[in-house]
Amino acid sequence: MAQQSTGNTQASPEAAAPKPAPPKPNPLPAIPPELDALPIWKLGAPALVAMLKDPKSTVFQKAIACKKLSIVGGKDAIAPMAALLSDPKLSCYARFGMEPNPDPSVDDAFRAALPKLTGKLQIGVINSIGFRRDAKAVDALAKLIDNSDPEIGRAAAASLGMIGGEQATRALQTALGRPQSPVFPVAARAMLLCAEGAIATDRARGLQLYQELSATTMPKPVRLTALRVLNGAGPAPEYTNRWPAPTGEAARQDKSGFLGRNP
Amino acid sequence: MAEKQGEVTRRGFGKSLAAGAAVAAPASVASAQIATPGAGQYGPVVVGNYRPVDQIKMGGIGIRSRGMDSHARQEMKRIVSPDRTFREDAREMVKSTVDGYYKDNECKMYRDAAEILANPEIDALLIATSDRWHGLMAMWAAQSGKDIYIEKPGAMFIAESYSMAENVERYGIVYQSGAQRKNQYAFEFAVGLARSGKLGRLTAVHADTAIGLGTVDAGGHSWWPEDQPEPDPLVFDWDKWLGPCLWRPYNSQYKDRGRGQFWDFHAGLLEWASHTVAMAQWAADMEHTQPVEYIPEGANFRGDGLIERYTIRCRYANGIQLILRNHSWRLLGSCSNLFEGTEGWVEVGDSGRIEVSDNLKSLVPKKQGRAYDPTAEHLREFVSCIRSRTPPRANARVTCNTHVASHAAWIAAQLNRRLEWDPEKRMFVNDEEANRMRSRAYREPWRGEALATSM
Repeated sequence: MAQQSTGNTQASPEAAAPKPAPPKPNPLPAIPPELDALPIWKLGAPALVAMLKDPKSTVFQKAIACKKLSIVGGKDAIAPMAALLSDPKLSCYARFGMEPNPDPSVDDAFRAALPKLTGKLQIGVINSIGFRRDAKAVDALAKLIDNSDPEIGRAAAASLGMIGGEQATRALQTALGRPQSPVFPVAARAMLLCAEGAIATDRARGLQLYQELSATTMPKPVRLTALRVLNGAGPAPEYTNRWPAPTGEAARQDKSGFLGRNP
Repeated sequence: MAEKQGEVTRRGFGKSLAAGAAVAAPASVASAQIATPGAGQYGPVVVGNYRPVDQIKMGGIGIRSRGMDSHARQEMKRIVSPDRTFREDAREMVKSTVDGYYKDNECKMYRDAAEILANPEIDALLIATSDRWHGLMAMWAAQSGKDIYIEKPGAMFIAESYSMAENVERYGIVYQSGAQRKNQYAFEFAVGLARSGKLGRLTAVHADTAIGLGTVDAGGHSWWPEDQPEPDPLVFDWDKWLGPCLWRPYNSQYKDRGRGQFWDFHAGLLEWASHTVAMAQWAADMEHTQPVEYIPEGANFRGDGLIERYTIRCRYANGIQLILRNHSWRLLGSCSNLFEGTEGWVEVGDSGRIEVSDNLKSLVPKKQGRAYDPTAEHLREFVSCIRSRTPPRANARVTCNTHVASHAAWIAAQLNRRLEWDPEKRMFVNDEEANRMRSRAYREPWRGEALATSM
């Protein structure tokens, strides 16, 4: 649809702008008072911590308290939230509240919870440990790579990659020695992160890791990434002319000219 | 490899090169691999002696209304595996539409996105899930080596924005976000005026961020509708619908009323800012960074930092202002942008109309309006970039910077105070609460494998 310009002549974009139509308010749904976050959201950290400790608090109250404590919670909020890590409904809220808290006791709490949990809840804590890059957890994570539940092994490998460093790298190298393992693709991606970290501090070590990741046994996206880094880093391998020109019937069949030669 | 003679996929092309290079093998083997009578030779399409046979095999995740409008019909030779996490009727509609378009029965359907990500025959993905899945899906697609056209917003929070872009760059894939206005004439024209000096020195770029905050405000900060029994997962998979978002009990309001009422499922300003901030950053030549200052100005605070009507005044390090507001000014349609300089101004919107200061009127084309489908143009650019391996206009880094700017503004509005942002350190300056809001923990078992390394 073609439209003509309105020929507006105003000099200032603000001066003569037509009055905008008022925004149409969305019809406000009826919010049950016991499920309204706003009164909880307005509370300060001490009241929110008390709400978490109160056995009469509902799941909803504890959930919203954790969300607000993700922003305002101090050290005293960590233990009450950590107590929820084993709760199937509230574990994600506890992690939500704890992950961004800069206090180092958050890492202690996640590490302490790790062996006490199983299944998805343990995976969640593994993921949080990775997000916080807790180097003290490397040993525990390395042991979980071979867990009978491959999802736990994958989560552990991924977190090791985020943590990085030589100790995590060695744990991942062990996992990469087993290409048939269900953890292998995740371990390869995690090793890419370790290589990125290493090359910033020890170029030779970093390139060595990329060399390992360029093996043909690696998942294709990982291998291509490693090759791209290696190509960019130079020098290229010695030119060996391993691919001679076609001769005889093969050359006659090649009508494309793509190979740049004719028999 | 389901590859027809005479048609070479991007990966098949790689195999063909290998065959061509291995001609030292016995002639019979070589001829079987190289010669394809009547179909031309396999080879790179750039040579020009060959049929344009570089077929790109697309898959889709979350394709229904948004994914099926014009996306599915643009240059893709086959949509192989649309995926839905719920609603059988939607799955049937998608298969029926795709098969009807190609007049065959080859559209395959999967229930789990992991299956399509693991399919080596898929070169590229069209991802049109709900917002909360976009960041993770993009990361997974990148880690699978697949190119992505993905609807906006691309990420739900700052850390996810960086991680998305870094995964895309790490794995060298092509990423185009659904910021279709980057390929719409009126917007291109306005950006052109700003970047070509016709406006003089740029002073401010305005972005209409529409209803973002107000929509969420209508429901408050994550209230819960009452608990209802969960439906059969084959009809509506509540766990998949929630995805990486925090758990909450099921209620049919979520799917019936949409995600926009709830902070957990909403990327805040990015409802429209994905488009308009992207255009503003493009116009200001600031696509490589983000503003360093954010000042929320508004009224009608409900008490938790969410506001119905607002202006957020942002400033780049060079002094140019980025002004976000959810109220438009000249009524040129949704997603409006206004760019102001010392020598003139230009304003555009989804109507396709272009308004300028008097001194620039001679530059404006007489015919205005949306004469073509910008979505189609945007998707064509994506397909072209798949072939050229070059970044499209709405590439991952540009999208990341748009998103970080918008999320930072959203955080300033939520906290209702001025914030300073350090683009190099990826941190707010001296504001711990704001820094804590840069990330959101994913619900177990979902994870962003490189999330931590991005911050």
